[in-house]
Amino acid sequence: MTPENLLHRLPSTQKCTFGCPVLDRCLGGGIPCNSITEIVAESGCGKTQLCLQLALSAQLPPSLGGLSASSLYIHTEFSFPSRRLHQLSHAFISSHPRIFNNDPCDRIFVHAVYSADQLFDIMPKIESFLENMNTQLPVKLIVIDSIAALFRSEFENTPIELKRRSALFFKISGKLKSLAKRFGLAVVVTNQVVDLMGHLEGMNGLKVGNLGSLVSSGRRVCPALGLAWANCVNSRLFLSRNDEVVGEENGSVDVSACGDGDFLPRQTRRQLHVVFAPHLPDSSCEFVIRREGVFGVER
Amino acid sequence: MEVGRLPISASQRGKLIAAGYTTLSSFSSLSPSHLARDLKISDNEAAEIMRVASHSHRLDGSAAGCGTVNGAQTAWDMLHEEEMFPRITTSCMDLDNILGGGINCKEVTEIGGVPGIGKTQLGIQLAINVQIPVDYGGLGGKAIYIDTEGSFMVERALQIAEACIEDMSECGGLLRKDFQACQLKMHPNNILENIFYFRVCSYTEQIALINYLDKFISEHKDVKIVIVDSVTFHFRQDFDDMALRTRLLSGMALKLMKLAKDFSLAVVLLNQVTNKYIDGSFQLTLALGDSWSHSCTNRVILYWNGNERYAYIDKSPSLRSASAPYSVTSKGIRNSASNCKRIKMM
Repeated sequence: MTPENLLHRLPSTQKCTFGCPVLDRCLGGGIPCNSITEIVAESGCGKTQLCLQLALSAQLPPSLGGLSASSLYIHTEFSFPSRRLHQLSHAFISSHPRIFNNDPCDRIFVHAVYSADQLFDIMPKIESFLENMNTQLPVKLIVIDSIAALFRSEFENTPIELKRRSALFFKISGKLKSLAKRFGLAVVVTNQVVDLMGHLEGMNGLKVGNLGSLVSSGRRVCPALGLAWANCVNSRLFLSRNDEVVGEENGSVDVSACGDGDFLPRQTRRQLHVVFAPHLPDSSCEFVIRREGVFGVER
Repeated sequence: MEVGRLPISASQRGKLIAAGYTTLSSFSSLSPSHLARDLKISDNEAAEIMRVASHSHRLDGSAAGCGTVNGAQTAWDMLHEEEMFPRITTSCMDLDNILGGGINCKEVTEIGGVPGIGKTQLGIQLAINVQIPVDYGGLGGKAIYIDTEGSFMVERALQIAEACIEDMSECGGLLRKDFQACQLKMHPNNILENIFYFRVCSYTEQIALINYLDKFISEHKDVKIVIVDSVTFHFRQDFDDMALRTRLLSGMALKLMKLAKDFSLAVVLLNQVTNKYIDGSFQLTLALGDSWSHSCTNRVILYWNGNERYAYIDKSPSLRSASAPYSVTSKGIRNSASNCKRIKMM
């Protein structure tokens, strides 16, 4: 309610690094605090990978682009991928050996949620958790993986149900945004895609964001949950995978010298696109998923 | 000329009338300090009133002496007054053209569009452009930015401010008039300093803030634009009682219109779009319902046409329906790329 002099704040919004310079450059330093960033992709594109990596890199000190913060990971779809997190955390410790003396997984709090109403109901719990936390590092990152799973099963396709659904969207997003503002949180939610039928551009002939139509695995897709939800997020990122590029040598990848081959299908070309964001231009960036994590590739 | 017609704040007008000064001539011969004593206001404020009064007197000219009803205004005067206030440019020439030169003061303009079309970008751009000094054809005012969604990014504002100053210094190279002084005044940091930013997290906060704005603006007279980004967000959350929502919204709209009139400032409301269920099919409209569409003087819809962004005047009492392309660049809102090429070729 009080006027905030912009100059008394940091010169730019605080960002949480992805732990990869190429991805950070594409996204202006990482995921911005005080706002909701949505990662949209079909399954198997790397949404969860990116989220796990964020939860780790948020623990880095600000000098390395992190938030020196713990994170809260709300998962809705599968059981929490703790094996993968351990794998990532080993790589994380070995690349930053001086910073951490205990397991970084200790600073990732995990909570399962199974319905949209439950998600709204635990908001006060999250708030009091953020208020009275006496851990080493404050929580500055909330990941919801995925928001789509909660909303896609429960509601019927009738006008009344759809209205109830979109009211819940705005309630949840409003609550998340006020938490984000109050505690300086970066909020990341993941979303699924739906296939696009017909010749129309975008959802119901409506284009949202920079890209006319999103293409993944050779199909035209659009983010799930419709227009109402699109109004609830501040930025939207889209991950795509396309298999058409075959036989690309991964030797050109410069990020890590560790040569692992059989972990990822070589012919998959993954890209990250900025669909819309208040602070970013229309840009995209290629990336690979390896055992050590997600890395951007310089083209 | 009546005091009621002076472009001064309502409280000043009230004080003048309460002290018995109902016409211009009744106090135009006084000294500012005398007036200050009579009205119990500061010398500066009194001097400001005198300045406005003498200015209006000159403008008034021949019209003086016509016995109009207290507070009334002839359309001729209004035309003069309107010409006195420059419009706020959008930095996109095509968009300015269809808007009749830019966003008008004393009016409420609603701008709506799908996510990612550039509503926030336009909002930030206007908050910066309102500060373009008078010498450069701007208003030299300040901006209030009410953020309900958390999309205002300081670094983006800084980027647009820098580009704005760059453009002005190019322009200043041609004018050469007070350029040094202006450059000193128009530092990016100063531009950011002149944007009063409010972040509201619920609809009660939003209404409270808008009720409090007239007090805030009477303390900061040079505020020339109020931007609400977006007016919609908190009103789509949890309203079982839609009649209550309509009442709250129309009350808020009236407050904003009054602000625009009283302080001669522009109000820009950003709105979201929604699917409206008509006759068994979904159609795209701006959010907040039918009654809300009466709340704004002008309504501009932003939409995609192929890969180009377009703006369309949906409703306006003075402008004809028209559409124009624009683009969002690293420098802010600019002419569409295809038009840029055309201009460059010429």
